[in-house]
Amino acid sequence: MKRYLILISISIFLGSCTKNEKNEINIYSKRHYEVDKLLYKKFEEKTGIKVNIVKAGDDELLERLKNEGLNSPADLYVTVDAGKLQKGVEMELFQKIINDKIDANVRSELKDPHKYWIPITYRARLIVYSKDRVSLDQLSTYEDLANPKWKGRILVRSSSNAYNQALMSAMYANLGKDDVTKWSKGLVNNFARNPKGNDRDQVKAIAAGQGDLAIVNSYYIGLLLSSEKLAEIDAGNSVSIFFPNQAEGDRGTHINISGYAMTKNPPNKENAIKLLEYLTGEEAQNIYVNNSYEYPANPLVNPSDIVSSWGDFKIDNLDLNLLGSFRDDAIKVFDKTGWK
Amino acid sequence: MNTFKKNEKFAFLIFGIIFFPILFLVFTSFFSETESLVYVFENLLLDYSSSTFKLIIITSVFSLILGIIPAWYVSNFRFYGRSIIDVLLFLPLSIPTYIMAFTYAEILSFTGPLKIKADFLQLEILGIILSFSLFPYIYAVSRISFSLMGSKFINMGKILGLSVYKSFFKIIIPLSKPAIFSGLFLVIMEVLNEYGAVKYFGVNTYTIGIFRTWNSMNDTGAAIQLSSILLFIVAFLFFIEKKINKKKLFSYLKNSNPIELINSTINQKLLIYLACLIPIIFSFFIPVLFNISNVIDNFDKIDISNLLQLTINSVSISLISSIIILVVSVYFLFNERFSNSKIYFYINQFISLGYSIPGAVIALAIIIYFTSIDKNIDSINLLGNFYVYLFILIYAYLIRFMAVGKSPIKSGFEKLPKTYDLTAESLGLKRFKIFQKIYLPVNKLSFVSALILVFIDLMKELPIILILRPFNFDTLATQTYEFAIEEMLPLSSIYSLVIIFVCSILLIIFKNIISRINVSRS
Repeated sequence: MKRYLILISISIFLGSCTKNEKNEINIYSKRHYEVDKLLYKKFEEKTGIKVNIVKAGDDELLERLKNEGLNSPADLYVTVDAGKLQKGVEMELFQKIINDKIDANVRSELKDPHKYWIPITYRARLIVYSKDRVSLDQLSTYEDLANPKWKGRILVRSSSNAYNQALMSAMYANLGKDDVTKWSKGLVNNFARNPKGNDRDQVKAIAAGQGDLAIVNSYYIGLLLSSEKLAEIDAGNSVSIFFPNQAEGDRGTHINISGYAMTKNPPNKENAIKLLEYLTGEEAQNIYVNNSYEYPANPLVNPSDIVSSWGDFKIDNLDLNLLGSFRDDAIKVFDKTGWK
Repeated sequence: MNTFKKNEKFAFLIFGIIFFPILFLVFTSFFSETESLVYVFENLLLDYSSSTFKLIIITSVFSLILGIIPAWYVSNFRFYGRSIIDVLLFLPLSIPTYIMAFTYAEILSFTGPLKIKADFLQLEILGIILSFSLFPYIYAVSRISFSLMGSKFINMGKILGLSVYKSFFKIIIPLSKPAIFSGLFLVIMEVLNEYGAVKYFGVNTYTIGIFRTWNSMNDTGAAIQLSSILLFIVAFLFFIEKKINKKKLFSYLKNSNPIELINSTINQKLLIYLACLIPIIFSFFIPVLFNISNVIDNFDKIDISNLLQLTINSVSISLISSIIILVVSVYFLFNERFSNSKIYFYINQFISLGYSIPGAVIALAIIIYFTSIDKNIDSINLLGNFYVYLFILIYAYLIRFMAVGKSPIKSGFEKLPKTYDLTAESLGLKRFKIFQKIYLPVNKLSFVSALILVFIDLMKELPIILILRPFNFDTLATQTYEFAIEEMLPLSSIYSLVIIFVCSILLIIFKNIISRINVSRS
C-alpha cells in the first residue's frame, strides 16, 4: 500500500515539474456567462493564444490571488462589480494598465481614475414596476422607495448579494450615514416579503402579484424577454422599466461595471493586453450586448435592440471605486435596518 | 513492542500531515483580532442561530418521517414490488441538495409548470426540499436496524399483547434510536454545510454568516473563528451521538435470524404503497422528470463534447480521490484494530469530525497553508501548475471525506471475529500480510461500498472544487452550479442528469452489495 502512495506522489511531483505552455493567458473569472466562453474562443481562433480560466466566486479568487502572491499564474482577474476590483486594488494585487488603444475603446465616465481596471460592460440597477398596479408618475428616485406609500409592495433580493451591496454603497456615498440608514429603514418597512431569490425571481413575483415594484439589474429583463419559455416572456412583459433619479440636476441611475484587472506579476502580460484590446473592441462589444444584454463600455457600440428600446438614461457618475470603499459601512446599514 | 511504537509514530505523522492545515487555522484564528466577530455576535448571531435551528428541525422531522416509515414497511412486510421500492428509496441520494432545491424552486415558481402565485421561497419549504435529498440517510440506517431486529421483536410484542404498531413505537423505535441518530447526524451535517440553496431561499444559516464575514466584511480571521465555533458545536453533537450509540451493541446483535416478512392485508397494502411511493415520487421521479423535460426542450443547445469532457473530469477526479481516501481510511482503521494504543482510536474519531467542517473553510485552510509553503521557499514555484492544484484538491477532499468512507469499512471489520487476528498473529504473520491474506479478501465488498459512497459524495461536491480547481477544469457539479446561479437552470439540467444517472447506478450496485453482505452473514 505504501508503495502505491509513494508512486502516486512521485508521479504528481514529476507532473508538476513539466513546463507551462507559453502562448496562453490565465484568467481568474467571476463571470460565468456563456458569452465570455464564446468571446474567448473567438480570440483563440484569431490569435492562437490559448485562454485558460478558473471560475469561482470573486472573493474566493481574490483570496487565492492574495495567497499566491507574485507566484500567481493568473494574468487577469475579471468580475462583475467595481467594488470587488477596488478591494483587489486595496489588497495590492493589481497593477495599472496603461494602453492608448484600450483607453480609446472605453467610455470615459466608466473608467477607473487610477487606471487599475478596465470596464468592458455595464449594467443599471433599476426599478421595474407592475404595468397594472403602478403608474409611471408615481415613480421618481431610489430615495422615494422609502416612502410609506409603497408599504408591502417592494421586492428585492438579499443583502448578501453583491449587486445590492454595491447599490447600498453608492447610496451611502451619495447620502451619508444618517440619511442612508433612514432610507434603508423605510425601504425595509416597504418590503413585500423577506428578501430572497435572484433578480429574475423578483420580476416573477411581480407577475404573480406578490409585490408591485422590484429593484433588479437591467440585463435580467433582457434575458427574460428573450427567453424561450413563454411564461418567462409573459413575466418580463408584465413589468415596465424605470430609470430612477433622472430629473434635471439629479445624479442619475446607479450602475456597475464588469471589468478586468491585471495581476502584479503576470506571466503573459502581452497576451493579456491583446485580449483586453479585443474585448473592448467593436466586434467583441457587439457580441456582448446581443448575448448578455449588458450595456457596452465602447461608446461606438449600441446596446441590443431590446435594451435600446428602454431609451437612454443618465448614469450616476460616482467614482465606482467608492462601491468598494463603502462596502463595510453598507453591510452595517443592512444589518442595522434589518435588510436580511 | 518496539515496532508498535514505530507504527504509531508513522500513523501520527500521516494524521498530522493531513489535518495540519485545519489545526493550524483553528489555532491561529484565536489569536487574530475579533472586531467583526463581536459585531456578528451583537447583530446577527440570534437571527443566524434561530434560522439554522429551525431549518435543522424541519429537515430532520421530515427526513425521519420519510425515512423511518418506509424502512419499517420494507423491512417487515411482504408486498409486490418490495425489492424495487427498497432500491428506489436509496436513489434520492444521487441528487445533490442544491440541484433538488433549484429544481423545486423552478417547479414551484410562477413561471413553472404549476404557475404558483404564492411565495414558495420559505424556510419551511426549503426544509422539506432538503429532506427529499437527505432522508435516504435515515432510511438506510433504519432499514438495517429494522431488518436486524425484525419480526422476532414484533412476535415478542404480540406475546405481551401489543399490536404491531404499538410494538413499533414501544420496542423497535427505542431500540433503533442509536442507528437512527447516526443517520440524523449526517442529515444535520449536510444542512449545516449547505450554502447555495439556503442563500437562494433567503434563509440566513450559520454558514451564510461565515461567508458574510469572509466575503462581504472582508474578515477572513472572523470567518475562521466562526467556523471554529461551528466545529466545536458539531464536535459536541458528535460526542452526544457517540454516547447514545454506545448502546448500539445491545440492539444490533440481538437477532441474527433471517427476517420473516408479515403478509399484509389490503388496507395495509394501500398504506404501505402510499408511505413508500410518496418519498420516491417527490424526491426522485419529479425532479428527474422535470430535468429530463428541460433537456428535451433545450436539446439543440447541448454541447456533447463539453458534456463528455466534464463527465470524464468528474469521474476521474472523484475516482482518484476516493481510492486515496479509501487507502488512508483503511490504514487507520486496520491499525486501530491491531494496536493496543488508544492513539488510533482518537485519530479515527477526529477523522469523523472532518465531515463537519464546511467545505469552503477546508479549501481556505488548504490554500493558506500551501501558499505559505510556496512563499517561504523561493526556489520552488508550486502554484499555478495544473497538477499541484489537482493535488491540493485531493488533499482537501481527504480531510473532509474520510469520514464517509470510514463507517462501511469499520462495520466490515467489526464483523470479523477477533480470534482471526489472534490466530493470524500467532502464526507469525506480519500485519501487512494479515491485511493482504485475510482482511482484503474478506472485506472486499465493504471496501467497494466505502469507495462508492465516497465517490458519490465527490461527484456532488461543490464548494471545495469551486475554490481549488485548476485552470480549465470544470466538472458536472461546477457547470450545473454556474448555470443555476446565472439563472439559466434549464441549461444545467443535462449536467445534473448525468450526475444523477452515474450516482444512481452506483447506488444500485451499493444496495446489491449491502444485501449480499447481509445474506452471507445470515
